[in-house]
Amino acid sequence: MENLIKVENESLIRVVNLEKSFFDGDSELKVLRGVDLEVDKSEILAIMGASGAGKSTLLHLIGTLDRPTSGTIYYEDEDITTYSERELTQFRNTSVGFVFQFHQLLPEFNALENVVMGKLISNRKSGYTDGRQLTRNEMYDRAETLLGSVGLSERLTHFPSQLSGGERQRVAIARALMNEPKVILADEPTGNIDDITSEVVFDILLRVNEELNQTIIIVTHDSRLSDQTNRTVNLVEGKISY
Amino acid sequence: MKFEWFVASRYLLSQRKQSFISIISVISIVGVSLGVATVILVIAVLDGVEHGLRDRFLANEAHVAVSKIDRGFFNNYEDRIEAIKKVDGVVAASPVVYTQSAIFQKGSQSIQDVIYIKGIDPEVEDTVTGFSKFVEGSVDFQDQKIIDRASFINDESVTGGIVLGARLAKNLTLHQGDILRLVVKLEEDNHSPGAFLPRIRNFVVIGFYESELAVYDSRMAFIHVDTAQKIYQQEGNINVILVRLEDPELAPTIGDELIEVSSFNTIDMPITTTWLDTHAPLFAALELEKIATVIIEALIILVAAFNIASTLIMTVMEKTRDVGTLRTLGASRGNIMLIFMIQGCVIGMLGTLLGTALGLGVCKLLSTNVIRPSPLIAYALVVLLIIFQICVTLKFILSKTKLRNIVMLLFWILGIAFILYCLVQPISLKELGLSEIYQMNQLPIKINWFFVGFINLLSFSICWLATIYPAFQASNMRPIEALQYE
Repeated sequence: MENLIKVENESLIRVVNLEKSFFDGDSELKVLRGVDLEVDKSEILAIMGASGAGKSTLLHLIGTLDRPTSGTIYYEDEDITTYSERELTQFRNTSVGFVFQFHQLLPEFNALENVVMGKLISNRKSGYTDGRQLTRNEMYDRAETLLGSVGLSERLTHFPSQLSGGERQRVAIARALMNEPKVILADEPTGNIDDITSEVVFDILLRVNEELNQTIIIVTHDSRLSDQTNRTVNLVEGKISY
Repeated sequence: MKFEWFVASRYLLSQRKQSFISIISVISIVGVSLGVATVILVIAVLDGVEHGLRDRFLANEAHVAVSKIDRGFFNNYEDRIEAIKKVDGVVAASPVVYTQSAIFQKGSQSIQDVIYIKGIDPEVEDTVTGFSKFVEGSVDFQDQKIIDRASFINDESVTGGIVLGARLAKNLTLHQGDILRLVVKLEEDNHSPGAFLPRIRNFVVIGFYESELAVYDSRMAFIHVDTAQKIYQQEGNINVILVRLEDPELAPTIGDELIEVSSFNTIDMPITTTWLDTHAPLFAALELEKIATVIIEALIILVAAFNIASTLIMTVMEKTRDVGTLRTLGASRGNIMLIFMIQGCVIGMLGTLLGTALGLGVCKLLSTNVIRPSPLIAYALVVLLIIFQICVTLKFILSKTKLRNIVMLLFWILGIAFILYCLVQPISLKELGLSEIYQMNQLPIKINWFFVGFINLLSFSICWLATIYPAFQASNMRPIEALQYE
């Protein structure tokens, strides 16, 4: 029966009654108060909400960067909240790609090295080469291709400090794609760059979604962006309001 | 492991844009280097002093001296010597009359010094202490030519020849052929009860004894054993038997056996004094000094290790966001820990190895038998280094390699070391006026390779330990907190 449901709606991520509280001494701050959310495969979903509504917290929980206070998160019907630290680390490496507001590129490494880093950490089998491990050259080739596809083939050996804000964010997108993740989580990806550059970055995200059937969750408070996504949910006072 | 090395080496080598070993790593490396270099050097000098003294003691002295507990004389010593020679491990034994005498020169009205007089048979003595190796001049105590000449010139009767310690002779300004008077005995004055008259014998200086050990060279004189027996009225008797062993380290054990075989009757009561007993306080002091040095130097390395730890803690703080990023990319806590430990260990390793090279290099420079290349080579090398630097700067060579700066650094260090090697004179204690204090003329260097290995291991271990806390701190950060770190 469960199998049937899975096939029917092709759900990738299922968040069930997710709660997250932060504790500061004795005082408890409830950020998420029972979030239920389903994300389909190949979908591009926008999570909107006022600042402090818990958008980023939700994204971090989905991205396994933090553990929920209660509730469960299923990836393809596998409960990842029960994962051990080691399993979570591996899961982040293979299944999740992050794009942050402040690009979070490593300043000591050039664009190509930044993109290839995730694969260097753990050269696990992936779909890209029919399930075999990549050689060093193949890794760099793939990183180069990805950077090319976000329009940065002329910027391969530039360091983050030598790139513009939009270019850095494009490197970050290429990096998120490197390990063929199940989902890309973008936390205010255009929050720190001007409108025109924002559009370029956002177009790339849309294209990635379309061409690669890549599932993407975007946290944003920019309604012009959310209008272009498949679906938008609002996070209000720690709950999803449809 | 590859990934950790990739990240760690980048952190070590580059500080953002500048593609040199980051200055902070260089400072840490230099700190460890200096600690290791000084400990190697200081211990080499201390070991050198110990071995220098030891070698000289062993060359100059018998390994065991057998005497009576009351310092009295042995009769039928030939039999005792034969018995001693039969003991396992004994190479040779010699009879000696060992006394003290007041001395004064011809023309002097008062006693000038009190010295030890060793009455020896030079041929037998050579087999035990290598006596004649250290004598300049004659060792023939009955050299009639010198004795007759001195006797004739001075118009005095001469008992025999005497070999004087070189420093003693210098202090008294005595030359070969000069007369030296020995007070050999005090005799009661028959004319005034309670008063004593000295019995004095004249000796002619025939040679000088120079062992480079101040104790001997300034306080010792040698005469023939037969003469000594005569002047001290102990004909057929001696008071010390000197023994040479195959292995000087066995002196304490063989000594006991010697007591047994040389004791012919119950009133003999012979005792032995080994060379180790004689110098026990000195060796103990040297040993203590070495232990103290190692402790102090270990503290220096510890300070250097703190330097590494603080360097790493700073790096960890600076790279907190990077740690967060790496964690989101799927780096495990172990990965993160390794990245920072590799950095610390590379610093520790480089510092230790450079320090070892530096320490050994300076030891080499200080040791006496340095073959000094012509200073011209040094000048040529300076020119070569400058040409090399120009080529590198203009990117004729090495322009494409990432290790360019390290190669440069090594090239310069080695270059300067070699230039120094060409130019620096081996330091001479004599020139520094320290030979009296150390009883030797050259700063002695002895490299103990076992110790060098030990100090390398110690230094590296301390550095490694210093990395643990910062690395753990880095690995223990929660990814989300690291990401949001400002």
